[in-house]
Amino acid sequence: MDSSVILQIIVSGALMGLVYALIAYGFQLTYATSKSLNFGQGELVMFSAFCSLTLQDWGVPYWLMVPLGLIIGAVLGLVVEHAAVRLALEQKSEGWILLTIIVGLFAFSLAENIWGRDDRPFPTPIPSDSFNVFGIDITWTEVSVAVGVLGIMGLVELFKRRTLLGKAFDAVSADRDAAELMGISATRTVMLSYGLSGMVAALAGILVSPITTVGPTMASAIILKAFSVAVVAGLNSGFGVVVVGLALGAIENLASLYLGSGWREAPGLVLLIMALALRPNGIFGKATIRKV
Amino acid sequence: MLKVENLYAGYGGAEVLNGVNLEVKQGTVVALIGANGAGKTTTMRAVSGMIKPSAGKVTLEGTEVEGYSASRIARLGLSHSPEGRKVFGPLTVEDNLLLGAYRQLPRFFGFKAKAQVELEKVYALFPRLKERRLQHAGTLSGGEQQMLAIGRALMAQPKVMLLDEPSMGLAPVIVQEVFATIRRLKEAGITLLLVEQFAKSALEVADYAYVMERGRIAVEGSPAELQKDERVLSAYLG
Amino acid sequence: MKRFLLVRGAELLALLVLAAIPLFIKNPFALGLLTLLAIYGILLIGLDVTVGYLGQVNLGQAGFLGIGAYTAGLLVANCNAGLFTSLGAAFLICLVLGALLALPALRLEGPQFALATLSFGALAVTVLNEWEDLTLGAQGLSIDRPTLFGHPLDAAWFYWLCVVLLALVWLGMKNLLSSQWGRAFEALRDSPIATDAMGVGTYRHKVIAFAFGSALGGLAGGLYAFNFQYLQPQSFTYELMVILLLGVVLGGRKNLWGAVVGAAFIVLLPNLLSNPMLFRAFSLLGFAIAAFAVIRTRSLRFQTLAPVIAMGMLVVGSFTVQHTEDWRKAIFALMLFSVVVGLPEGLMGYAGKVLSKLFRVPAAPLPEASNLDDVVPMQQVNDNVLLELRDLKRHFGGVKAVDGVNLKLTSGSVHGLLGPNGSGKSTAVNVISGLYAPTSGQMMLDGKELPYGSLYRVAGAGVARTFQNLQLFSELSAIHNVMVALRDTYKTPWPLVLFGFARKEEHKAKADALALLKLVGLEDQARTKAKDLTYGAQRFLEIARALARKPRLLILDEPAAGLAHPDAHHLVEIVKRVHGRGISIVLIEHHMDVVSALCSTVTVLDGGQVIAEGTPDEVKRHPKVVAAYLGAAA
Repeated sequence: MDSSVILQIIVSGALMGLVYALIAYGFQLTYATSKSLNFGQGELVMFSAFCSLTLQDWGVPYWLMVPLGLIIGAVLGLVVEHAAVRLALEQKSEGWILLTIIVGLFAFSLAENIWGRDDRPFPTPIPSDSFNVFGIDITWTEVSVAVGVLGIMGLVELFKRRTLLGKAFDAVSADRDAAELMGISATRTVMLSYGLSGMVAALAGILVSPITTVGPTMASAIILKAFSVAVVAGLNSGFGVVVVGLALGAIENLASLYLGSGWREAPGLVLLIMALALRPNGIFGKATIRKV
Repeated sequence: MLKVENLYAGYGGAEVLNGVNLEVKQGTVVALIGANGAGKTTTMRAVSGMIKPSAGKVTLEGTEVEGYSASRIARLGLSHSPEGRKVFGPLTVEDNLLLGAYRQLPRFFGFKAKAQVELEKVYALFPRLKERRLQHAGTLSGGEQQMLAIGRALMAQPKVMLLDEPSMGLAPVIVQEVFATIRRLKEAGITLLLVEQFAKSALEVADYAYVMERGRIAVEGSPAELQKDERVLSAYLG
Repeated sequence: MKRFLLVRGAELLALLVLAAIPLFIKNPFALGLLTLLAIYGILLIGLDVTVGYLGQVNLGQAGFLGIGAYTAGLLVANCNAGLFTSLGAAFLICLVLGALLALPALRLEGPQFALATLSFGALAVTVLNEWEDLTLGAQGLSIDRPTLFGHPLDAAWFYWLCVVLLALVWLGMKNLLSSQWGRAFEALRDSPIATDAMGVGTYRHKVIAFAFGSALGGLAGGLYAFNFQYLQPQSFTYELMVILLLGVVLGGRKNLWGAVVGAAFIVLLPNLLSNPMLFRAFSLLGFAIAAFAVIRTRSLRFQTLAPVIAMGMLVVGSFTVQHTEDWRKAIFALMLFSVVVGLPEGLMGYAGKVLSKLFRVPAAPLPEASNLDDVVPMQQVNDNVLLELRDLKRHFGGVKAVDGVNLKLTSGSVHGLLGPNGSGKSTAVNVISGLYAPTSGQMMLDGKELPYGSLYRVAGAGVARTFQNLQLFSELSAIHNVMVALRDTYKTPWPLVLFGFARKEEHKAKADALALLKLVGLEDQARTKAKDLTYGAQRFLEIARALARKPRLLILDEPAAGLAHPDAHHLVEIVKRVHGRGISIVLIEHHMDVVSALCSTVTVLDGGQVIAEGTPDEVKRHPKVVAAYLGAAA
């Protein structure tokens, strides 16, 4: 096969992989502070994408819709935290796994009934034509994905490093008890992490909707890949998710090319299982010390 | 400033505290000593909110705080430097200190400027921390981590400070430094409740002391009185 | 006799009722539902192994159902395989795949495990869909039901086949769970650390449990294929998985009856939803139960309030929604939510509690305690060095917890390890027992290098220990705690255990455990759950459990911590008795009187290093020790 075609496929795939990275980043945010994550995150992406679509249907211009959509995402994240996570954390159990799945299921059904089961196009002012760089065609949509993902990850990282609240975030991840002794409320920090995670997921939805169209099942495929990226990169490392996301996106496209489109899903899933077998804490993650 | 009345607390099945009574008056250093397993650290934890007491009262400057969450009690002006230090490993020394003042600083920006005065005070007290300001706390030695924990607790200008086993796991030379620091803090007028397994050093620096045994106060008094008390000595070396 | 009647009687009755049904009910639809009930019963029992007994969220069971179904179906369609061959193959293939999946997945807990199983489920469906040459993919695969020894299986006969298989699975699981396997599963759930330290490989048990549960899923899959006689990959997706979880949780986890009740619920669910009157009645009932709970406990906490809100939404939905089919997932979600939050033990779990209050089922009588000499044989004592530590170091980042410790323990002695908090005693002992690997240095047991970094392997080498912070199996009874740890006692291979051939072994194990309980004075509390024992009794139980390992070296980590005077006295007696059997002991203690009464040699640590060594009296007066404990003068 022509090498420029392969390169094209790799680059296009990699850029899409950034979406997985973004959602995986959301997982890291909540896992860092609470050792939990939202198993229904795909439904959150989908639900917020539908809300954003509705906003546009009501005439809200795109550039206003985006921040509103992010706020909606944050609110949804808080709902998940309150309904599905808080109780389990208080009981020091892992009940949140099942509960977030349940909340996601409910959201799915709700979305089906409010907006119907068909896929709908997502209007966007970003042109779909492409331009050529070093022999590879890149669409403006793909550029927007890259800009959006890296932009928001950069902003959140900046928040974590430059604001006191952000440092408090890291403190709760490092040692919850000690953070409480500083007057940092661990519960509020967990709420914040879920809000941020929801916001990030909403952006992922907005970025990817023009490509996948908006429908109840839009995120079910994406979410598994995001899980793979999160586990392979490790649930502690911010930078790792970007690398793994790019890699997975590229590999998936190659799999689709050589094996057939139905096999797209396979690499992510196999990667996940292999990563768990070989490096349980992820390539970039760290193990923890037990105390007896 | 801090009053503990008839405090009961425990973990799971075991009730460790069986009615603890103690008081820390403003501007004094009070030592809580006793053999290991007597319940000293549990007392600290029950006071600062890390664990919830099952019965009894804890009063901080007139406010009853038993049952409050740890972060709430901290915001009311109590600083607890916990057993084992518990510094934030992945964060820098300076970040650890800044977080110590969390409850008084602006949450987003401008916190560094506001904390500057307190920060400089802590650096003056612990020059070695200043040298290592940008180092990750997890890479510091045990003694340096203890300095950091104390400095962190001081950053919020607390009304009462709880210092739990500062000498634990430290070489004797470093322990001397720690107690020198405590003496300097005492001169500056701090209100401090000190839990120590090294009775002798604790008694030298305290204004008043309580001896714990099996979850309650067995003996109390001024250091001079206690140093002559045979029971105190026997509680340690059998 | 009463016990037999109550427990076995109920099971037999249920079985007889199930078996008799086709004689009275000829309606094929009803029979079909009951057949499906039996099939899902097997499936959920398999799922409950991981969800109930291991306490993990397993999202792959629907995948195993599909793999089993296609395996059996394809063997019949393409190779003309017989009934038992195809079912057997489905069972075995899922057993192997389950083990392969478990090997990586079970190294981790919680969320990562759920993710791994979720991926596996998705992967299974993808493969089934894409491998069209074999499975015909989305078009679907038609299967003829095989014959049973030439006899065609009509609705009634197929039903009986399913019921018989369910009964066999039930019996097998009961045998398995009342054997060492069942105890091991509970133990590793309560304290994986102690489980490894007591020589029961946590990991391998989890893998076997998971593989077995998956195999049951495969078996159910084979029956599923022959039931519907038509297969499509889309049937085995995530939505089915959630329904299965609903069944297990609603029925009751860790409970065979719960699995079957849950299966009944799943099977009847579509009928429940399609009938508006029934649905409304059901939601009102659920709402009433949830509201009742609030009134009874008078609390408005999330735990009681949330189910009320969820069931309330269900009631509103039942009256306003036109097509319940469209809202199916939301309805499941609300039901599952209410159960997980409000009734976590499930219907049968709750019923079990109520029933045990109404009917006192007398426990099976305990055997006579074995002779202690058989359980913990007297050991040879000589003057050799049993344990030697050479320049042992363990660092955590910048903190040097253990920094060059040298120690020689003479065989048959009680060797004390003392030092202030933070001196490195517990870390040293954690390194010896295998919780941590040493940073550098050597450890020798009886001249041979001690395995490091693995509690399980060190336990295998003849070292047993107790823990500073108790690590009992809190939900197990005292006698079961000890039985888990018994060394060289459980030799029956697991297939024989399934068929109930482990009874004699069990009897001896009970007798041996009882002897150990007698040694520490707990024989009267053999049946009490560990978490319900007094603190002192719990400490003694840990010692009895460690002795079940027949150790050469016993490590006691602050056994007197928190003990009142009389208990501390009793502890000294127990340790003397243990010592009298020639077992070498490392004793970490703070209570000087305990140390003086028991130890022949004492090593004192401070700041990770040895500062003194000698008899208790020598060490007490050593200036460095005095300084370390009381604090040096400024």
